[in-house]
Order: sequence, then structure tokens, then C-alpha cells
Amino acid sequence: MVNKNAKAYSMIPEQFRIKKKRDWNALVFKAALLAPAILFLVVFMYYPIEETFRLSMTRSTGLGPTVFIGFQNYVRLFQSEEFLMGLKNVLLWAFWSVVIQIPFSFFIAFSLSVFKNRITKPLRVIYYLANVLPSAITAMLGRFVFAPRHGVIPSLANKFNWQWLARIDFLGNPDLAFWSIFTVATWAYCGFYIIYLMANIEQIPKDIQESAQLDGATPWQYARFIVLPMTSYALRIVSILCIVGSMKIFDLPWLMTSGGPGYATSTLGIVLYKNGFVNWQYGRAAAIGVVIFLLSLFFTIIQFSLQRKEGDVL
Amino acid sequence: MRKQPAISVAMGRAFPIRSKISEILITIILIILALAVILPLLLPFMFVFKTRLEYNYHPWSWPTEIRWINFVEAWRAIQIGQGLLNTFYVCLGAIVCTVPAAAMAGYIFARYRSKVTEVIFYFILAGYFVPVQMVLIPLYQLCGLLNITDTLPGLFLPMTAFGIPFWTIIYRSFFAGLPNELAEAARIDGAGHTNIFVRIMLPLAKPATVLATLLVFMGAWSDYLLSLIMINSAKNYTMQLRIAQFMNQYGVDHMPRYAAATIIAAAPTVILYIFGHRWIIQGTLAGALKG
Repeated sequence: MVNKNAKAYSMIPEQFRIKKKRDWNALVFKAALLAPAILFLVVFMYYPIEETFRLSMTRSTGLGPTVFIGFQNYVRLFQSEEFLMGLKNVLLWAFWSVVIQIPFSFFIAFSLSVFKNRITKPLRVIYYLANVLPSAITAMLGRFVFAPRHGVIPSLANKFNWQWLARIDFLGNPDLAFWSIFTVATWAYCGFYIIYLMANIEQIPKDIQESAQLDGATPWQYARFIVLPMTSYALRIVSILCIVGSMKIFDLPWLMTSGGPGYATSTLGIVLYKNGFVNWQYGRAAAIGVVIFLLSLFFTIIQFSLQRKEGDVL
Repeated sequence: MRKQPAISVAMGRAFPIRSKISEILITIILIILALAVILPLLLPFMFVFKTRLEYNYHPWSWPTEIRWINFVEAWRAIQIGQGLLNTFYVCLGAIVCTVPAAAMAGYIFARYRSKVTEVIFYFILAGYFVPVQMVLIPLYQLCGLLNITDTLPGLFLPMTAFGIPFWTIIYRSFFAGLPNELAEAARIDGAGHTNIFVRIMLPLAKPATVLATLLVFMGAWSDYLLSLIMINSAKNYTMQLRIAQFMNQYGVDHMPRYAAATIIAAAPTVILYIFGHRWIIQGTLAGALKG
């Protein structure tokens, strides 16, 4: 067909052919509208990314010359206790977030959407409130509850004369600090998972609920055999979001314990900040940045490889 | 003991699966959990009206007298006035830079699809997956080169770059969902590309714009990490930095004052949430379901 058309086209005398003209107007319009976004991304994202990779291969302190040292920064990182603790904490954080926060959120989301009545309906708004608060304020409330001697828990324990509880230092004890911060994070982050899962559960067609009812399903059976399989895609997405978020966690542990005691609550973000902006070792900090990036990339690729199964709602 | 479906349908139940007992039980659990969420925000009010001495002896008694001195002291210690102004400036800057840029790019990606724009779209989409943590050091150096470290633009310009990918995706899917007839009609009437975009498509995209404005505002409002590395001098401190500084300088020892500071710090967000929770939740969901 194309050949035939071309042949026919070539038979038209030169002066009568329609000249294929570029639409310069449209081109200028497109370029003008894309320019700001591209400019922002190139200057403030892609150039810094390139610089991160370059810096991570150098010994650089911001002052004096930068020396190319290959992969030495990475080798040193994996020998330093600080970094390894940060890595361990971040991975533990991700693991426990998925194991604790997601099932907990699923339970609340399921209960909120299945047992919807006049009392439970407005509760969704309350659950999400904690998620909206800036992390500095979340950390402030966390200290308010857990601070030794004056915090809410110790002072309550004193009131009831539970000396064993009053003596516990939730933020200063290396074994407990991680879990105290994790509790605050659960308080703060579950709201998002709840409303996201709720939105997915409510997408399940009404007739499926009705037929489950006719078959005599209990709420537990309904949750286990219908809601869980139908929201599995949403659950996996939320888990990945949760894991990627854990790789980047910085604000809460930094503001509540500064990564201490020792390295007990150090995260990769905190190690990066300390190396880069306290010790001024740009090269090492950039190498940590690359590690954070690779970890997030790894889990993001997993997210994209997740296929929607038949029966998934969204 | 389960009811027959016919009965519960006759009773006008939306969800026949639930039984009365489990419903009551679950409602109670949900209320307790909701209390656990909101209690840390309410407890400061127990302490805030007491003097330090009073707090040390009777922390859990009801306040005998309404004293405002703790609020005054906390307000002075945080110096939140200037911080609020700075934060508003940063929020405004982030909105003014992010929303138009994302709307324009999203429009092109939705309405002028070609191989070139698709490639550029993926280039912008990839930015969505870059964690800010990764580029902190070069960002800091870059802002040094541009002479904007320790200024508020040095804060909201990088923020904009990290916000644009997400909002471009949202605008793209929004514009793609709009009917083509209006644009066609306008084209036949002789409207140019710019006119169609500004006069017809942009007003139609108002819901997306409201959403973007609100959520960019919230994002800029809550930021801590970027502010921490970019801002050094106290006069440029944002609200979150002021709060963090208060926590580190004054600590929890003077509990009533700390409680007052907590209330002051949390109040703007909570008030904003009370009035805008419907849009905030809707917007977050729209973003999450599409993204």
C-alpha cells in the first residue's frame, strides 16, 4: 500500500504537491511548556545524581583538592561499624514495618470498611491525622511520651508506684530505643496504609459480599478468602512503599535520639548526614547516598515486576 | 447465631456479613485505637496550665488554674513567628514553582504524544524514584555554587525538582481523561495552542490544581531534612527547624513549657487538617492509586 501511494504521489507534478511543513508553532509551544520541568530536573536532580556517583569515587572534604580513589569509599564503608549498624537497622526497620504495620493496618482497614456504622465512619479521619503531622512534631510527641523521668509513661508509672516501669529509659537503653522509635513511627505511618487499603477494600463489588453472605461466611472467612486475595496487589504495593520508605528513614530517629545510644538507632540517612555534614567527608557520604539509591532501586524494580493477578481489584 | 440474610437485608444493612456481637466488639476496639492515636495530642493540655513545681508533685491532677505563662515562654523560646513566616514563604515558593511546571509538562505529555515526548516523560518519571537522601551532598554544593545556600529559595527550588515528577504524572493522567471535543471545537474556531491550554484545558483541570496546591503546601510545610542541611542562620529557620531546636535546647525537663511548645507546634497542622481533611485524604488517595 505504501509503495503504491508513493508511486501515485510521485506522479503528481512537483508544483502541486503539498509540502510537508513542520508545525513550528506546535514545536515552540511544546518546548516552552516542557522547559521549566526539564530545567528543574536537570539542574536540581540529574546533575546532583551524576555528582553523587562522581564524588563517591573520590576523597573529598569540600576544601582542598578532590582525589580519585576508585571504590575505596565503598570498601571502607563495609568495614565501618557505624555504616553496618545503619544498614542493619534500616533492614530491620523495613522487615518489622512490613510484619507489624501492614497486618495491623489491614485489620483496621478491614474493620473500618466492613463494620461501617455511625461511630466507626468518622474514625478514619482520626487515624489519618497522625500521618499528616510533620515529622518534627511527631518526634516531639514521641519524646513527650517516652522521655525519662518527666515523660508521660514514667510519670504515669510513678503515679501508680510501678517503680520497674518508671526506671526504664525508653530512649537511652540501646535495646529499647529502636523499639520506642518504631512505636512512634507505627503511630505516625499506619494512617496512610489504613486509608489506602480501605480504598481498595471498598472497591470490592457489593454482590461478592452478598454472595459470601448467602454462603454463610463469617467475617473471618470473608476477610481471609475474599478480601485478602482481592487486595493482594494493594498489599504488595503498600509493602514495597513501606520498605522503600524505611531505606530513607531519617527524621524520627535523628530528632528523638540522634542515632544513639551508640549506633543503636543509626539509620543510613543518619550515617550519611553525620559523615557529610558533621565530619565533612563528602566522598564517603556520597557513597552512602549511592547505597541508599541502589537499595530503593532494587525494591522499586521488584514493585514493577509484581504483576496484577486476576481478581485483584485495583 | 448468624442472622438470615433476608432478615438483615430487610433491616437495611449495607453489610450483611457482620453480626451484632462482632460489630460491637470491633467498634470498641476501633474506638480504643483511635483514642491511642489522638491521646498524645490531647495529653499536653493536662500539663500545660501548671507551674513546674505543681507538675512535679501532681502531674496527673486536673489543672486548678488556667495559666498562660507556659504558652508565653514557649512562644518566646521557639520564636515561632519568624519561623512561620519563613515556612509560608517556602510553601508559597514551592507551590508557585511546582504546580505550573507540572501542569504544563503533564499537558504536553497527555495531549501531544509523540516518541520524543514519551522519552522525555520517562526521563521525568524516573525522577520520582530518586530519594532526596542520595543527592544531599551535591545539592548542598550546587546551592553553594548558585549562591543560594542558607536562603529560602535554596530550600524550595530543590523541593520543586523533587515534586515535579509526581505532579506531572497526576496532571498527565488528568488531562488524558478530559474529553477532546472542547479542544477540537476551539481549534476550529481558530484558537491557538496557547489559548486552548490556558482558556480551556487549564480551567478544566482545576481539581488537579487544587489537589497539587494543597499537597505541595503540606509537603513543604513538613519538610525537615532539606531545611536542616540548607539553612544555617537563625533568621532563616523554618518552623520545623525552630521546633527541633527547641527540643534540643530546652528538653523535656520543664514539662509544662514543653507541653505548651508541643501544642503551639502541632496546632497549625491540626487546624488545617480539621478544615481540609476531606481534600487531604482524597488527594493522597488519588495520588497513591494512580502513582
